[in-house]
Amino acid sequence: MSKKILLLSSVIFLSSCGANNISELGDKFLDLINPSDAATEQADLGGDEILIAMDESGGFTINELEQLSNDELIAIAKEKGLGDLIVLDADGNLQNRDQIINAIVESGDLLDGKSAELELLSDDALIEMAASKGIDFELDADGNLANRDELINALMDDAAAMLAIIENFKNSTDSFILYFSYDDTEIDEVSTRAIIEHANFMQDNPSVSLRLEGHADERGTREYNLALGENRALSVKEVLSLYNLDDRIMVVSYGEESPVLVGSNEIAWKENRRVEFSYY
Amino acid sequence: MKYLKFILLFNILLSFSANALLEVNILKSKEAAFPIVIAPFEVISDSEENIDIAKIIRDNLNRSGQFSALSTDALVTNQINFNFWKEHKKDAVVFGKVEQVSPRNYDVYVYIYDVFSEKSLYQKKIRVNNKGFRQIAHFLSDKIYYVLLGQKGSFNTRLSYVTVTENNSSGRTYRLQISDSDGFNPQTVVRQSNPILSPAWSKDQKKLAYVSFKNNRSEVFVMTPFLKTIPIKLPKFDGIASSPSWHPSGESIALTISKQGNKDIYLYNFKSKSLKRLTKNISIDTEASFSPDGNSIAFTSNRTGQVQVYIKDLNSGKISRATFEGRYNAKPVFSPDGKDLAIIHRVGKDYRVALLDIASRDLTIMTRNKSDESPYFSPNGGMIIFSTNRDNKGILSIISIHNNQIVELMQKTGEVREPTWSNYSN
Repeated sequence: MSKKILLLSSVIFLSSCGANNISELGDKFLDLINPSDAATEQADLGGDEILIAMDESGGFTINELEQLSNDELIAIAKEKGLGDLIVLDADGNLQNRDQIINAIVESGDLLDGKSAELELLSDDALIEMAASKGIDFELDADGNLANRDELINALMDDAAAMLAIIENFKNSTDSFILYFSYDDTEIDEVSTRAIIEHANFMQDNPSVSLRLEGHADERGTREYNLALGENRALSVKEVLSLYNLDDRIMVVSYGEESPVLVGSNEIAWKENRRVEFSYY
Repeated sequence: MKYLKFILLFNILLSFSANALLEVNILKSKEAAFPIVIAPFEVISDSEENIDIAKIIRDNLNRSGQFSALSTDALVTNQINFNFWKEHKKDAVVFGKVEQVSPRNYDVYVYIYDVFSEKSLYQKKIRVNNKGFRQIAHFLSDKIYYVLLGQKGSFNTRLSYVTVTENNSSGRTYRLQISDSDGFNPQTVVRQSNPILSPAWSKDQKKLAYVSFKNNRSEVFVMTPFLKTIPIKLPKFDGIASSPSWHPSGESIALTISKQGNKDIYLYNFKSKSLKRLTKNISIDTEASFSPDGNSIAFTSNRTGQVQVYIKDLNSGKISRATFEGRYNAKPVFSPDGKDLAIIHRVGKDYRVALLDIASRDLTIMTRNKSDESPYFSPNGGMIIFSTNRDNKGILSIISIHNNQIVELMQKTGEVREPTWSNYSN
């Protein structure tokens, strides 16, 4: 094996005694102390451990994706049906590399909209959904769903109509976000009135479900704020439950992780201590 | 195909060397640190890797707050000029050599001399089985630390943390990364557009638990970063699941779970897949941290109306309050010897890392920052890593308990937060 001596540059802080010619050093060094066997030990530092965690969609590891050329990424994105996301400049170079990597990593979760979601459902699940929404369906002689395609279309139409109603409600009120005091979950009178408006909407539209998303400002620890955000959403749910709407409400918390306004000041904090309403 | 894989990994290793958390500030303490000299190491190797082993060691030792390690322009040989070092007020001289004997084996020679007695404190040839100079340098740093202080170092260990970058087209990207203890060699193990929180290593360093909002709610995942497996999600609960802390045995993990909206701490056993309730209170109980012996947990609760830290003795079932100063104390974590807690303590409007002596209840505020989060001890207990804000940017900060020296680490772009420190690997 051909060896070469690498002498590494380093920052020099002190001038020192007995300037040694570096090239003489090799042999002298060994002469200096010839360690006896007793002074020799072995150490296995591992070093084989290369992180090869797979991205959550399987296939490529995240590190591998980050190392790939733009052309390779484009090829993978196309293969995964993400071709629409690719943005190229006039020279054909990839403009949104980060976004493409994110999309590939998350492609396991990607669904082509509502219709793909419905396509994946079993007949039984579709029937259950249709029944809950009061949509007619036909069974054949064996009790199987006879008009699957039609039913999916009807459910799509129903979903679109529902979206329009929700959108309409959203435009008619500014009470889709409620705000809170520091480390507090109390619902004030203004908020109570807003919640009652939502309760009425839900009673008028029995097929909508509500997601309440609790948030906190950045002060204090992240995990405590996660708990606090949930308590805020839960106190909103508590008022709604007076109207027997419990079964249609989902509560989640983002703690301080999803601020509306980034900044370490009273204005940002006030905006961020909130519960958001979203219907689905 | 095998060949392609090899090339890929090789490229990754090369690109890593240009890739690290940047050291931005060292806020030196006035208190004396051990003055030593570490001469440049001679490296005999067929590797093209241009790494200054002695510099990595010096940086490590300086970062610990225990040492003031300088270089010299001369390699030291059998004629050590002790008088010269005495004049320059250096207490010890370290020098050595690394020689590659086969592709994966190196002979490392280390010599440590005491300047005043002019005697050898340590001289050894170590046959090291490894392929990276950086890791050899961390290993040697631990050796030197032990010889000179009689305590274990925390250099040949890993950090994990979460980075957040923001970009106009794709929004926020969260990465769970693992790096060497000095912030070098960062590797991404989870990457997603939803928040990641609270990474926690199992004691054997094989598993990493973390909280992910991947499914638009907080859930706990467990991954084995050194194996090619998909992270597993812990069973679904009806509310939030968060704040994982491993029992030292690795057989179970403490979690915060919200059942019917009530947030309490539970112990999830991986074998029996069962949940055991550890706290029961209508207030918020969260942020559990196991003591090193596994006999108790420290946690945050607002059961008195204030946010305070409590300790539950798991044998007797007794819960006692641990913090009495101030109106906000949270996110406790045990020191490796189990005697102290690092916590976040509110002072006026600021949230600062503080050290609590559990027995005496003495509280020492460690920083002057505005918004510290997520403290965690180095495995030897000598340092605390935590996240804080500089110029509206999330950075990591490492404080030496010995003399409050602070080293700050940041990313070139974006934030870095939620640090933890791995245990020793064996």
